[in-house]
Amino acid sequence: MTEYTGNPLLWVALVALVAAAVLISRQRKAARALRQQVQGLRDHYTELENDYGKSVRAAQERAEDETKTVLKSAMRTLQGLAAEQQLVLSRLQNKYGDSALLQDLLEIDHTNSQFGRRAQSIAVLCDGWLGGRRDTASVYDVVRSAQGRIRHFRRVDILSQVDFGITSRAVEPVALALAELLDNATSYSSPDTVVEINIRTVPKGICVVVDDAGVGMSDEERVRADKLLATERASGVAGLGNPPQFGFAVIGLLCERFGFEVSVDSSSPYGGVRAVVLLPHELLTAMPEKKAPAPAARGTAARPVPDAGGPEAASLAPSQTGDGLPRRRRKRPMAIVPGSASAPRAAARSDSEQAQVMGAFQRGTQSGRTTGPASPDDAERTSDTPGASSEGHEVS
Amino acid sequence: MTGQDGWQPEAPELVRPYVITKGRGLPDEDDLSLITLVTASAGQSQRPARLSPEEQSLLDLCSAGYLSVAEIAGHTRFPLGVVRILLASLMEGGHLMTRPPVARARLADKEILEEVLNGLRAKFG
Repeated sequence: MTEYTGNPLLWVALVALVAAAVLISRQRKAARALRQQVQGLRDHYTELENDYGKSVRAAQERAEDETKTVLKSAMRTLQGLAAEQQLVLSRLQNKYGDSALLQDLLEIDHTNSQFGRRAQSIAVLCDGWLGGRRDTASVYDVVRSAQGRIRHFRRVDILSQVDFGITSRAVEPVALALAELLDNATSYSSPDTVVEINIRTVPKGICVVVDDAGVGMSDEERVRADKLLATERASGVAGLGNPPQFGFAVIGLLCERFGFEVSVDSSSPYGGVRAVVLLPHELLTAMPEKKAPAPAARGTAARPVPDAGGPEAASLAPSQTGDGLPRRRRKRPMAIVPGSASAPRAAARSDSEQAQVMGAFQRGTQSGRTTGPASPDDAERTSDTPGASSEGHEVS
Repeated sequence: MTGQDGWQPEAPELVRPYVITKGRGLPDEDDLSLITLVTASAGQSQRPARLSPEEQSLLDLCSAGYLSVAEIAGHTRFPLGVVRILLASLMEGGHLMTRPPVARARLADKEILEEVLNGLRAKFG
């Protein structure tokens, strides 16, 4: 055993062993350190990547917000101008109502409405101003308003009416959404087909059904429409494609904000798309009162109509035209036409009124008899005059 | 969205006149002049359901007897041309009928008057 200790080879071997062990442990340490470093670098890298993504998104959002703000204010100006122009057009239409110019004015009016609708759609996508209504409107009128905002409005046919109104807050959004649907329906069907609108009462509210006879939607389009209408709302004007497809993006946003539903997942009996707008009870009111032929409210405090003498005149509320002139209400036919004139007049008096008239007549003849005629000529004249004057009253 | 703070222009009419006329053109001036008399045609007791409210109210106006086109227009809030278009379409549908304006009285023949005058003078004067 001891001779081995003296063996230098053994020592050499030992030393080599120790050296190898030390080397290995050092290598291991180095490897561990390297691994840690790599890990650290990797972490750093992902962190950088996240930050980059975040800042890109932030920049995108900022850019989008800026676009939205710019578009919003630009559209507001355009909407205001369109509304202003519409008022000017209304005035012109009233002014030149009896000339051939009216036809052209109506056409300009139509173009102006489409222009206003475009601006409204972009404004909706940019969280902008939609334009408000102060009055409720009947469902039928809202549908017709929507009809007037598209190019091919002549091809739209409203087949039914219901006796419901829409709250003032929802008038514009519903009209705009319907206009977008009608625009789609008329654009994607052939020019000689009719787009039908049916308005139906359902337990949940009211359905406005738009049927077109177009080619329908492809699966891809349907998926996009469903996405925009139901789950994923559009935001801003990015991602609308080129040419931009506003329709469903605008409708989806309006549905979300104002609480009505639009679905396009069924097909129409004519082969095209059937779009259904469901207006819940919250958006519905009673049928608005029929508008007076002209702003009649202005005249209520004004001077009364000069008494026309007839019993009907007192029952009519005094009213005025826009120019401040008292309005004449014609209940009876014109007197110059014989035949049909006498019957309604007689029917218009109630029994008590008839009695009053007879009483007055009797009192008049009595007082006439008591004073006595001065001459036959006078008597003739006095008996003639009341008759003539009452006739005059009657005709008025 | 609502933005009531800012300037809000007076809202224009909801239903524009060209929608009410359904885009139809102006009728011929001779068919419906200002003084043409219009009335509801006989046998219109039951109303067709598919008339617009404006057409219904025009029919109501005309149901009592003859009215002139100008007068009907005065009772509505629409421009005269729009009323004429609506009346023309109601006529086409057979809901209204017109009566041409009363023909102008012919001017009396001057010679006959003179002869009568001369005769009277010869007899009494």
